[in-house]
Amino acid sequence: MDDLKTLKDEALKAIEDVKDSKVLEELRVEYLSKKGKIQGLMAQMKNLEPSEKPKFGQLVNDLKSAVTEAIEAKKAQLDAEMLNAALENEKIDITLNAYNKQIGTLHPLTLVSRQIEDAFIGMGYQVAEGPEVELDLYNFEKANIPSSHPARDMQDSFYIDPVTLLRTHTTAIQMRVLEEQHDKLPIKLICPGKVYRRDDDDATHSHQFMQAEGLVVGEGITLADLKGTLQFMVDSLFGEGKQIRFRPSYFPFTEPSFEVDMTCHICGGKGCPTCKHTGWIEILGSGMVHPNVLEMAGIDSKKYTGFAFGLGLERVAMLKYGITDIRDLYTNDLRFLKGFKRFN
Amino acid sequence: MKVSLNWLSSLVDISGLSVEQIIDSVIKAGFEVEEVATLGYGTNLVVGKVIECHDHPDSDHLHVTKTDIGTEVLDIVCGAPNCREGLKVIVAQVGAKLMGGDIKASKIRGVASNGMLCSLLELNVKKEMLPENSPSHTGIEELGDEFEVGETDILKKLGYEDTILDLATYANRPDTISMYGMAKEIAAILDRPCKLPEFAGAANIGGPTKLTVNSESANCPHFLAKVVNSVKIKESPDWMKHHLISNGVKAINILVDISNYVMLETGQPMHFYDLRSNPNLNITVKDDMDVAYTALDGVEYNIQKGDMMITSDNQPIGIAGIMGGDNTKILDDTTGLIIECALFDYAQIRRTANRLGLQTEAAMRYAKGLDPLAQQKALDRAVQLLIEYADATGFEETVEYGKANYEPYTVSETLSHLNALIGKEYKMEEVVDVLRRLDFKPEVNGDEIISHIPSYRSTDIKIREDIDEEVVRLTDFNDLKTTLPYMKATVGKLTPRQALRRRIERMLVNASLNEVVNYTLVDQKYKDESLLPSGEAIALLSPLSDARKYLRTSLMNSLLENLAYNLDHSASDVNLFELSKIYTEGKVEERLGVLLYGNLEESKLLHQSVKADFYVLKGLIMEIFDRCGFDKARVQVTENTMDTVHYHPYQSCLVSIDRKFVGILGKIHPTYASKFKVKDVYYAEIMLDELDGLKAAKIKAPVLSKYPSISRDISIILKDEVKAEELLKVAKKAGGQLVKSVEVFDVYKGEHIEKGYKSVSISIVYENKEKTLKVEDIDVPHNKILEELNKHYGANQR
Repeated sequence: MDDLKTLKDEALKAIEDVKDSKVLEELRVEYLSKKGKIQGLMAQMKNLEPSEKPKFGQLVNDLKSAVTEAIEAKKAQLDAEMLNAALENEKIDITLNAYNKQIGTLHPLTLVSRQIEDAFIGMGYQVAEGPEVELDLYNFEKANIPSSHPARDMQDSFYIDPVTLLRTHTTAIQMRVLEEQHDKLPIKLICPGKVYRRDDDDATHSHQFMQAEGLVVGEGITLADLKGTLQFMVDSLFGEGKQIRFRPSYFPFTEPSFEVDMTCHICGGKGCPTCKHTGWIEILGSGMVHPNVLEMAGIDSKKYTGFAFGLGLERVAMLKYGITDIRDLYTNDLRFLKGFKRFN
Repeated sequence: MKVSLNWLSSLVDISGLSVEQIIDSVIKAGFEVEEVATLGYGTNLVVGKVIECHDHPDSDHLHVTKTDIGTEVLDIVCGAPNCREGLKVIVAQVGAKLMGGDIKASKIRGVASNGMLCSLLELNVKKEMLPENSPSHTGIEELGDEFEVGETDILKKLGYEDTILDLATYANRPDTISMYGMAKEIAAILDRPCKLPEFAGAANIGGPTKLTVNSESANCPHFLAKVVNSVKIKESPDWMKHHLISNGVKAINILVDISNYVMLETGQPMHFYDLRSNPNLNITVKDDMDVAYTALDGVEYNIQKGDMMITSDNQPIGIAGIMGGDNTKILDDTTGLIIECALFDYAQIRRTANRLGLQTEAAMRYAKGLDPLAQQKALDRAVQLLIEYADATGFEETVEYGKANYEPYTVSETLSHLNALIGKEYKMEEVVDVLRRLDFKPEVNGDEIISHIPSYRSTDIKIREDIDEEVVRLTDFNDLKTTLPYMKATVGKLTPRQALRRRIERMLVNASLNEVVNYTLVDQKYKDESLLPSGEAIALLSPLSDARKYLRTSLMNSLLENLAYNLDHSASDVNLFELSKIYTEGKVEERLGVLLYGNLEESKLLHQSVKADFYVLKGLIMEIFDRCGFDKARVQVTENTMDTVHYHPYQSCLVSIDRKFVGILGKIHPTYASKFKVKDVYYAEIMLDELDGLKAAKIKAPVLSKYPSISRDISIILKDEVKAEELLKVAKKAGGQLVKSVEVFDVYKGEHIEKGYKSVSISIVYENKEKTLKVEDIDVPHNKILEELNKHYGANQR
């Protein structure tokens, strides 16, 4: 019986000391295989009293279980150690930027345009378009700017023939929609697009630029409605908390007409170089649609009124993103374009 | 319009108001203040006399002076070339504040200097405000005998002490380009009294005349003329000179000055002819002359039919409304005049002035329109001033051609309409008050207000909304509430085209492309070398330059220019797209241009990249089509038989959907690419209109098979020219219904494969939606595929 105890101690000690799984396997063979030391104890059985045989058998089985258990535990321990060692081998430098995922960019003018479109789509406006090669009729005449009108001085144009030109403002789109939908009032539209004027390109002028104009015509539309709508637009484009201010102005297609300023988004109205220390930034032109414009489109100006507004997308982009030279928007330098990492 | 506050204060009571208050009020009423200029500025100025002037011992240009300022004699070093003994000068004493800084006692190269002798330029007077012969241009100002040593009111006496507001005026307000109009406007804004000089009827004098006036041009509806037999040329009074200076007009002599001054006052350009140059006393306005004519600026102008000319005996004597003639101008010995006060059509004046490049003050005023009664007002004022300041006598009666085109009229508005339009609750008193200030003489009749419109506002006050604007302009209305239009609900949405654009944009951005926006206007070379122009290019009538003369007829060259620019600016991978409309004679198209160059994606550390080539571009376009509702089965790719000038003949293709041509894509021809100094560029141009016109598949949830599919590969050797598409078609047809998909997954040429042949591996997926496929189920179709491929291509399985 003492042999059993000795063997158990010897086996457990040996297992305890094992450092690698190959030696552990050798120990398993040494103790637990058919010709192993534990099985060898069974040979002693025949020398025992019959009364002692069951007890001896039981002890050998216990020994066998204990050693098996110890080996399995050791094996699990060694496996875990081995896996850990293997994982450690796979250690990487997590600070390395090995993969620069490339996603492209929308042009800043598109970003601004989409933002304005979406704000107004949410208020039930349609997004209208029209031709850039436009008839004098829609660009000027229908907008209450007859050929002799001094206002034509304000926008020297690129003519293609005596009655066709590159549109000088997106007002031409409004005039087309007014005519098409004059019997389907109310009209609510926002119309972004490219426009052209005879300006030499410099830091603040471009012969090609983009505008977005809005138009609402229906019954009982007021100047207060225009103010509310413009406040909404400013909130949506530049963030809430800006005030707007109307300054009387002149556009042939609106009466009364206003320039609209908003609280400077850089200094919050305290005064800074961006707002030339006035606290205000001029952002758009607007007014109540001139009755002549409604009448020319076939709309009864006694029954219906409307408002219109227009803003330059370059100006908005320049204000929002801090662009200082309008030509940057048309150079298409990738270093510039890749800075506009947003979707709208 | 430059408004001198000195001048304004002689017409409107602005006492007690600061410059800031005035500016604030005019801004609120809609004027933009472009500049606030102090005409001359400097403190501690005094008249001095140079009593000694020597050369500085240590300088080749400085002078050392002793200058008497009455109370003491100062040592002052001066660098002006005109500094000399006996000169009366402006002295800025120690402690004087000038725009350039403060004056301190100092030593200049070792010599004490206690003050500065000044040029007017150093006293903030602008160069253009100085008379041409002013010594201040090149040295110090030389004061005349009217100045006494010790006097301090120098700038005022010279007419340079003033604040000038430069106000932007609107095209509908020509009345504000005159001092009287502006005075009335500012008086209305400030609600202060306005007092204009009295001169009505001053020209109703004079005996019989032989002068005749006629017009052969429809563009001259009104012409007043008057002979003055005797005038005396003198210097103008100081106040007149000062007012001219404040408007940037040079004072010359009383005759020239009166004609300029009356124009500034009334807005009506006028012209004085030397009486001697028109001996037969006849004036005719003509507009059918073709003649070279020298105007009083000494420049010869080419007069064409349509330009209005003032003539006498059929000989031109002036360019109507723009500039007088060299042959009839006022000379130093002029003793008699013919006065002209006429109205010319603004559109015609604008055309002529633009063509001749002669933007004179007169032309500018005509081009913006005039008070219809201004001709008589100006003539009255001129006669009054000529009598008073030019000793004018020998007047003959006024001769008139045509008549002033103005009938008094009224505009009616109601308080209820005004309030409904503005969305505000104005009271009748407020409205009446505004109209009273404007001199519209309002009459109230219940809800109605009737305004009598003065002639000088007849160009812009025509309808009731014009009255509303005046009310809004001249009342504080920034308390206007904010509301939103109240109406039936409308659905805000994008058109299918707008939605398509956004879909494409988003996909291309996700595929790492950058959007560009290019100019529409291009040069002739761009136009001549356009890819698939949709028609004849449109040209501008008068372009700014040859570089911006035509409307582009395709997008390709713009994107190639973008590529070349970016390669020049250290980019190595350039992947761009542009969506734009294209205009040709009678046609509008919308196109998508996609350009790939270098890597579409690259990670050097991972040794991975997607390098632009034909297949990458084609894959990108096919995916876009698929995502727009046109799957591969509807897309046909055919050989490029259309354009091998721009495209590589063997690495480009035409793309159609449902057999309708929608675009072209592939590698740019190396010869064409070299024009932009680039190579290995891949480009697609897609016709959006065609795409938009096709019926896109609706999104339908895929039906998943419950039973597993089986995949089999075949590798075969084929002749090189066999196309993948055909091969797949044959295989699919042979395999029959169980074939779910057939795909090429490898193409190999080279070692172990005979020249002219290639090894192609295809993968076939079999699926039965009804039951689980057994291996023996697919033996039949699979063998059939092998058999058919063999039959068609003599293809041997490897």
